[in-house]
Amino acid sequence: VTRATPAIPVGADGTPLFELPAELAIDTDVARRVIGGFVRGQLRQAGWERAVVGLSGGIDSALVAYLVAEAIGPERLRCVLMPYSSSSPASRADAETVVADLGCASEVVEISPMVDGFFGTGEVAGAAGPEGLAASPLRRGNFAARMRMAVLYDRSVTWGGLVVGTGNKTESLIGYTTLFGDSACAFNPIGDLYKSQVRQVAAAIGVPEQVIRKAPSADLWPGQTDEAEAGFSYPELDRLLFWRIDKRRSVEEVVALGFDAALVERVDRMVATSEFKRQVPPIAKLGPRTAGVDYLYPRRRPGSARG
Amino acid sequence: VQPLRIALAQVAPRLGDLESNLARHHELLGQARDGGAGLVVFPELGLTGYQLQDLAAEVAMRLDDPRLSRLASATTGLSAVVSFVEESGDHRLFIAAALLEDGEVRHVHRKLYLPTYGLFDERRFFSPGDVLRAVPSRLGVGVGLGICEDFWHVSTPQILALDGAQVLVNVSSSPGRDLAMSSEVGLGTASSWRTLMRTYAQLTTSFVVFCNRVGVDESISFWGGSEVIGPGGGSVFSAPMFDEGLFLVDVDLADVRRERIALPLLRDERPELVSREWRRLIAERAGLAPDSTAEEGAEDGLDVAAGAAPGRPIGFRGAGGGSSAPAGPAGPPERAAPAKARPKAGAA
Repeated sequence: VTRATPAIPVGADGTPLFELPAELAIDTDVARRVIGGFVRGQLRQAGWERAVVGLSGGIDSALVAYLVAEAIGPERLRCVLMPYSSSSPASRADAETVVADLGCASEVVEISPMVDGFFGTGEVAGAAGPEGLAASPLRRGNFAARMRMAVLYDRSVTWGGLVVGTGNKTESLIGYTTLFGDSACAFNPIGDLYKSQVRQVAAAIGVPEQVIRKAPSADLWPGQTDEAEAGFSYPELDRLLFWRIDKRRSVEEVVALGFDAALVERVDRMVATSEFKRQVPPIAKLGPRTAGVDYLYPRRRPGSARG
Repeated sequence: VQPLRIALAQVAPRLGDLESNLARHHELLGQARDGGAGLVVFPELGLTGYQLQDLAAEVAMRLDDPRLSRLASATTGLSAVVSFVEESGDHRLFIAAALLEDGEVRHVHRKLYLPTYGLFDERRFFSPGDVLRAVPSRLGVGVGLGICEDFWHVSTPQILALDGAQVLVNVSSSPGRDLAMSSEVGLGTASSWRTLMRTYAQLTTSFVVFCNRVGVDESISFWGGSEVIGPGGGSVFSAPMFDEGLFLVDVDLADVRRERIALPLLRDERPELVSREWRRLIAERAGLAPDSTAEEGAEDGLDVAAGAAPGRPIGFRGAGGGSSAPAGPAGPPERAAPAKARPKAGAA
């Protein structure tokens, strides 16, 4: 039995909220069901009851906040907004809308002093020395992501909650993440959902329309968008990754499906060069039993839960 | 009319926590008994959890383990299928399912097919069983046990039915995956299982009892959806997906007779034909007989003939009949002439 693909959700003005390639359509009820059980299971097995989510104002972290609230109740969720001085005010407003809608605990931690304290501001050098004043946007973006990680892990202690990851499958596969930055978490409920699938679940669970509609952005500098920076659209990229990886199609086969050969080659390279970001660092094998090699235990087992 | 009330214990075991899972089994056996059940089925590794890895050796039980005996002694007037890690006398570990009846361990099935691909890594930690038998049961019919992947091999339910099983029990820890709108129930795994269980019930004209766990081990969510399928291939009961629970299902075992009289598929099976052809296949795959579907010129046991590939593949004899004339790095590769006569293995 093949069910008809559901209509793409429409916004208040009656136009579609997003573009949805047919092969990426999922049953959002089943997705929410699985994710809810996953979130509860991760917390219970670790002996924790609460969760911390870093909320950027974008769709990924908003969706995670809604999913966690649905799974364990908003009273057990704390959202942390961590803007930098150049972050878009609209992002912060969107994050505040999400917090208000969910009714969860929240706080704002400005990371500007942390980032500026390292790179310096104006002509005053920071901890990085004079050279830091000329740091590239990439270095600054990575550093900001790692400062946010540090804040979240501190709040993990003060709030008594596990840090929930907010990275999606698309950005993970192409390596559009900061190692030990935005990718750091205790567990990730949406890391196996492509961006197009994040949008479907977001629409189903009630993420505000303006959050779903706006162009995805790492918000590292004003006006930045993922798609302009990377040079392709998410629906196209999601489809390509779906056929190449999930459906194991060869380069020749996806080109025959209509993908541009140069795009295929470029995306393949991005996936290959970011392999290290998706794995635990290797340990030099020396002793008889080595973690991850031949010492293989579940993360959570009797005795491993806190308390 | 041979009424039977089946209890499907769709539980979420705690990973590696044998004592708490044992307690839960005792509790549910009691509830099932109070509910009038005659057969209680627990999922694969319901006593230990699934994603054990190196914990497998730490939760293993021998068949003489007193904890297993105590569980068996809770089955007076009942049949129950429970699953755990079994350690043999020579210290191999098996994924096992036991039929407990009237206080005894009546039968033990060791998982035959250990998936070691994709998200599965079972062969790394477990040994495969070597025995497939149906067993007479206090229910008055033969029972056949299979564990998860065992039922992804079509011979398993067929052999069990031919061996006398009228109720096929599959206990599973099936990880949910392949979320897709194109699937019947939104989950590719669930759709595949539903198709298979209906097909086996119809082809073996037997009841199929499928008990799949719920809950989460590490990354994996188990989808439940346990079912009882009648011997005509129709669903008698489908448990909800993902919900834990003890589900009671009434069946009439006399349906098996009616179905087999009307549709005598089992009567018409040809085990001697199947056996003969399998023996031929086994010999061909072992290189002990010519393979009718291999390329011309292929050595017995290999289905592709040596071609004009550079270098001389190891194990292929050239026109010289086994003389080794290695192609030098600069020399052109010699094409091995197809061997017309098929030399027996070891002949030079």
